[in-house]
Amino acid sequence: MREFLQLVVVGVSTGSAYALVGIGMVLIFRTTGIVNFAQGSFAVLGGLFMVELVDDIHGLLAGLVAVVLVALVGSLVGFVAVGFRHRTTPLASLIITLGIALLITSLNLLAFGDRPHTYPTIFDRAWDVGGVLVQPQYVLVVGVTLVAALLLTLGLQRTIAGQALVACADSRRAAELVGIDVRAVAVVAFAVSAGLSALGWVLLTPVDPVNYDSDVRIAINGFAAAAFGGLASIRLAYVGGLVLGIAQQLVVGYADKIPGLGQQARQYELAAALVIMLVLIGWRARHEVHE
Amino acid sequence: MTLRTPSPALVRLAGTLAAGSFAIWLSYQLSPGDRSLYTLMGLYAIVAIGLSLLIGFAGQISLGQGAFYALGAYTAGILTVGLDPDDRFLPEAGIDPALAVVAAPILTGLVAAVIGVPLLRLRGHYLAFATLALHLILLAAIFAQSRFTGGQDPGLAVIEPLEVFGWQITGVTGGTPRHTAIVWGLVLVTLLVALNLVGSRAGRALQAIATSERTAAAAGINVSAYKLRLFVLSAGLAGLAGALYAFMLQFLSPDAFGVFLSIQFVVMVAVGGLGSVYGAVAGAIAITWLEHELRELGARPSLLGFDLPDQAPQVFSVGVFAVILIVVILFFPRGLLPALGEGIRRLRSVRHAD
Repeated sequence: MREFLQLVVVGVSTGSAYALVGIGMVLIFRTTGIVNFAQGSFAVLGGLFMVELVDDIHGLLAGLVAVVLVALVGSLVGFVAVGFRHRTTPLASLIITLGIALLITSLNLLAFGDRPHTYPTIFDRAWDVGGVLVQPQYVLVVGVTLVAALLLTLGLQRTIAGQALVACADSRRAAELVGIDVRAVAVVAFAVSAGLSALGWVLLTPVDPVNYDSDVRIAINGFAAAAFGGLASIRLAYVGGLVLGIAQQLVVGYADKIPGLGQQARQYELAAALVIMLVLIGWRARHEVHE
Repeated sequence: MTLRTPSPALVRLAGTLAAGSFAIWLSYQLSPGDRSLYTLMGLYAIVAIGLSLLIGFAGQISLGQGAFYALGAYTAGILTVGLDPDDRFLPEAGIDPALAVVAAPILTGLVAAVIGVPLLRLRGHYLAFATLALHLILLAAIFAQSRFTGGQDPGLAVIEPLEVFGWQITGVTGGTPRHTAIVWGLVLVTLLVALNLVGSRAGRALQAIATSERTAAAAGINVSAYKLRLFVLSAGLAGLAGALYAFMLQFLSPDAFGVFLSIQFVVMVAVGGLGSVYGAVAGAIAITWLEHELRELGARPSLLGFDLPDQAPQVFSVGVFAVILIVVILFFPRGLLPALGEGIRRLRSVRHAD
């Protein structure tokens, strides 16, 4: 039981970070119709910027700067993907964001090299909660992502900009008719999504180091979280992220008890995650209606 | 009685056959160093033709063609050396390499059918992410089951020469001109099959699907069945190319089949024009050559006075292909090579007007 809870704690925190990536994908997909492949790159950039900044300035400020920088990158990506060319098909947009993700990957490799990056957590020891060791960093990730997701939901409901985003999500043409600048909204959606993804890895990096090519893994997991809600619901994307995170940890933790795998079980961590994702997508996919 | 001018289809067929014969003839003329690059171009062309049909006609993008290519290579390799790792030193442990080459595309096609059934009913992005996931799963499995696959170290040595009816196709030292000729012969066959498919009843159905899935469905076309067949075909072609690659290289390691390979195939198709069969071949040739050049450029100690870091070859090829992908899709959505051809034609007509 203790081992189970331990795994769940870790799963909830990585799942929260995946949830933010997934929520970003939902936000972009609903406002622009684009599935953004570069969403994983935003997360990696967030982690890498944080590692660079945290040595020089206070951690809180470093995190803020990293998130804002990635949001700026995100708005630029949004501009390229939707902004200066009208009417790219969803397929073409997916390929463009794939290209952007590759470009960011190659620049990251050039700037940061091929090794995992991390920074030390500010907390000096783990808490003991009824025998279960809880790293404070995990609690921080879970808490901040929850607040961020709630703020986003509130922002979408209560602010003018949020309402413009929701209007675009309902019908881009109708939004255009009432005078909303659809392209500007798309750029804002990309910026907010990029910031959210970055936030997850700014916080998660001390317990889950990032490398220049972590973006593929993060993008796939984020997409799986988003697909859990049929790419339409922020709430379900959040749930999807948590389910995915917990399920992955349980598979990793208990894999060596599965007959036939034995010693090699740990090496299947990513594969297990992806199989879970495929099953999740296949299951949720039945609920999605054809456009 | 006047002589009829031959139909454009006949002219195109004759041209294709002539180009194919030239490609096969060229296999015997090149030096061994150039020949291995040339063989690779042919193998990638086979994969690119399949992917171009899938993207262009089914509107579905697969980021897992590299996985099918790897699956084909490993299927052929493992069947040849023997399924049981303990028996591999025995000469009769494996099956005939020629049979292994036939088995590889069948297995990859089956795998594609299994994932295709639930995913092809959905919009394009689901297949893209699922096939990418498949690629990562396969890589993880190759690493983890190292006793069976050889893993990264020591890898899998496939030194058994490929022989068909006593004809030796690959030797103990790797590919021969005959192997290259067979690869380009298969490119020609794939090209003809693809062209025939596009022009047939199935091709017209696929064109209807590419224009509007709803209209196609309303006209009684079984949209998901057609998409599935195309997906299985493209996976099978990748598997076949992979199997032939295994006998050229004679050594398999997961390093040769990274995720970037899958993306490279997409770049080839984008450059050649989504859905264009000839474009796919041209794109494969151009991108394979460019990749080779970029690697050589990146391997130099310095360039234009700057010292190059160790990872330069990778940075160059990933970065350049990223830019190509973005620019082509944004500005030449019908493909870079078709756009170039059109540009030349326009220049000519301007000159004629003068």
